[in-house]
Amino acid sequence: MPWYFHIDLDAFYASVEQLDHPQLRGRAVIVGGANSSRGVVSACSYEARAFGVHSAMPIFKARSLCPEGHYMPVRMQRYQQVSEHIMSIFDRYSPHVQQISIDEAFLDMSGTQSLMGPVEEVAARIQQHIIDEVGLTASIGIATNKYIAKMASDRNKPCGICFVPSGGEYDFITETPLPKLWGIGKQGIMALHSKHIHTVQQLRAYSLSWLQRNFGQASGAFYHTAVRGEDPGIFSAVTKSRSVSNETTLEENTTDEQLLKGLFHQLAHHVMFRLMKNGLIAQTIGIKYKLSTFVTRTAQCTPAKTIYSAEEVFSYAWELFTQRWDHQSPIRLIGISLSSIEERSEPLQDELFFDTYQRKHEVEKTVLQLRSKGNKIMKASDLLYDRHHIQRHKDS
Amino acid sequence: MKFTSSKTALLKAIMIAQDIISSRNTLSILSNVLLETANNLLTIKATDLSVSFETQITVDTVEAGSTTIYCDKLLGILRSLPEGEIEIDQLDSQVVIRPLFQKIDFHLRSISSEKYPEMKICDEQLYFTVSSRDLIAMIDQTIFSVSDDTTRYFLNGVYLENGGNGLVMVATDGRRLSYMNRIIEEELPSFKPVIIPPKFLNLIKKLCAQDTQLELAIHDNFIFARFDTHKISSTLIDGKFPNYRRVVPEKQHFQCIIDREMFLEALKRVSLLVEQKSKRLFIEISNEHVRLSSEESEIGKAEEEIPCEYYGEPITLAINYNYALNPLKVIHEERVSISFTEPNRAITLGPFPEKDYFHIIMPMQLD
Repeated sequence: MPWYFHIDLDAFYASVEQLDHPQLRGRAVIVGGANSSRGVVSACSYEARAFGVHSAMPIFKARSLCPEGHYMPVRMQRYQQVSEHIMSIFDRYSPHVQQISIDEAFLDMSGTQSLMGPVEEVAARIQQHIIDEVGLTASIGIATNKYIAKMASDRNKPCGICFVPSGGEYDFITETPLPKLWGIGKQGIMALHSKHIHTVQQLRAYSLSWLQRNFGQASGAFYHTAVRGEDPGIFSAVTKSRSVSNETTLEENTTDEQLLKGLFHQLAHHVMFRLMKNGLIAQTIGIKYKLSTFVTRTAQCTPAKTIYSAEEVFSYAWELFTQRWDHQSPIRLIGISLSSIEERSEPLQDELFFDTYQRKHEVEKTVLQLRSKGNKIMKASDLLYDRHHIQRHKDS
Repeated sequence: MKFTSSKTALLKAIMIAQDIISSRNTLSILSNVLLETANNLLTIKATDLSVSFETQITVDTVEAGSTTIYCDKLLGILRSLPEGEIEIDQLDSQVVIRPLFQKIDFHLRSISSEKYPEMKICDEQLYFTVSSRDLIAMIDQTIFSVSDDTTRYFLNGVYLENGGNGLVMVATDGRRLSYMNRIIEEELPSFKPVIIPPKFLNLIKKLCAQDTQLELAIHDNFIFARFDTHKISSTLIDGKFPNYRRVVPEKQHFQCIIDREMFLEALKRVSLLVEQKSKRLFIEISNEHVRLSSEESEIGKAEEEIPCEYYGEPITLAINYNYALNPLKVIHEERVSISFTEPNRAITLGPFPEKDYFHIIMPMQLD
């Protein structure tokens, strides 16, 4: 019998802050927007949620709902560190741990019962293990497929366990409100509403061909599988296209080219280092920027040569940006993404001339190694740019 | 300004003008073509600020003068008109275009030619002569290797130098390189090596007939060409071209000789199933044959064997198939040679027996 756990840490960033600052325990903690009312809430404690604050809410709104809250800066490196510790705990319970974000992972528990006992008991043990060793709580969903497990972990939050027995998937889905169905976004819900579909039962009544005709091949097939409690394959290990992205909301809208250049440089290193860490390289570079008027623009390019240095990511991203930006409109947010990711660390095509980026790639690899040993070096060119007034709010 | 002209002759010149004018420009005087007539000649000028074009056709000048009008619309109008004589007449700030003896009337707003950017002129003494046959052969053999990666702008053109022994043209995108050194009968002046935008060279290729004498000049940051009734100039790419000599292998240990036509046809077939993102093609060379193959993918695979002449150890190379396809299309000799030393070092593709050009290809990883 296949068994999957989906383990999701409760209010992760906020809980880490409460862990590191005991005086904040039991209080409303909001991560993101320290000393400012810009950007969005990255995470908030359950105490803050009682005020109606939720993640991705603009900080100014959170401040009006919860003026007494403790607003903390985002300390990504610390969260990463805690995350790595927790993931190492998971490794002790399952040979197949699939981390899907900084604070959640799937554990394939198939065939472990004879060794470890009933899955529900193992889940409770893992929960206790994280509390004992790290001091954080997690919620666990248990099901025969990843899709159901993912939604189950959300059922009894915080510090809950939700066990969906084999054969109970259908009923579980039936009880799930449509907007809670994982993989259906706002647009999807709107499309469904326009066809007068408001519940899982209503959606289940339609044939596959009708769904595909009305919502497209991919979405139609997805709905058809999902509402039957089967795994539509969102979390299958081999994903067709992946991307890594990072964006930053500026403390103040700016037209300062040097500042923007510095930020792009930093984002480029951030996304590229994440790829390099996993032994991957990318083909496509994308940028995004939001003007003070909230008009968002995106652009991307796929250079003929493989991108394998952060400096290279920066130079393409900067070119994409400067070609489009009018150099006058104030910028509110910028972001870089890398896509068409390949599982190799060196490019497929060799270069004829010694590529300066090749040397930079080597340097960057070394920096990465040093960092993984706990060294604080970020990048050699750190000193070039003014790095004040930066607040990273989202890490997707 | 007023003249009459044959529609066909004018249309031909305006089509070239429209090619020069960058369609990406927002509407401005640069979207216009300049017309100037005197002494039964019409001079037509167009520019995108980088490349400029000028040509002359014979017309009947009624009243000398000059103006500029929106080239795209003029082209559309000329295309739509029936064959025959047409009259172009400036009336205040408008130009009237009408075929003679017919009741068709087009009015286009004009902008004074005084506002049109000045064309660069080059000192007469700097011009030197090259046969168009030689120049076009060199363009054909190299231009496809130019990089379109604008972050490496210095590779966005064809490198030209006086090699001491004729003209040398080189183009590269950093992964393959095309080289040609043509001995020129005429005397060459010494000039600093330059990087020429492909747009300029493509224009020469398009407009210049084989076997005419063509005059070239290089001055400051410009290159000039004139032939027939055409004059073309272009800004040069300001940058440092990489030292191509360093990547030309001095000696390669092995050589495999193949029939060009067979190689080209096989390549076209096998490339149908080559993975289109990496474009990686495998070339296995043995004493009996050369086997071209694609990687096995979800769709399937392809392989083909062609006879060859080779006396070394069997070897497998991997390359981007386009890097072989482009040169094979412009090599006209019956046989070609693939020269190499190791699977991870530069490969040379060229005519067999050797001539005055070759193509260097950097291989891809085998696994």
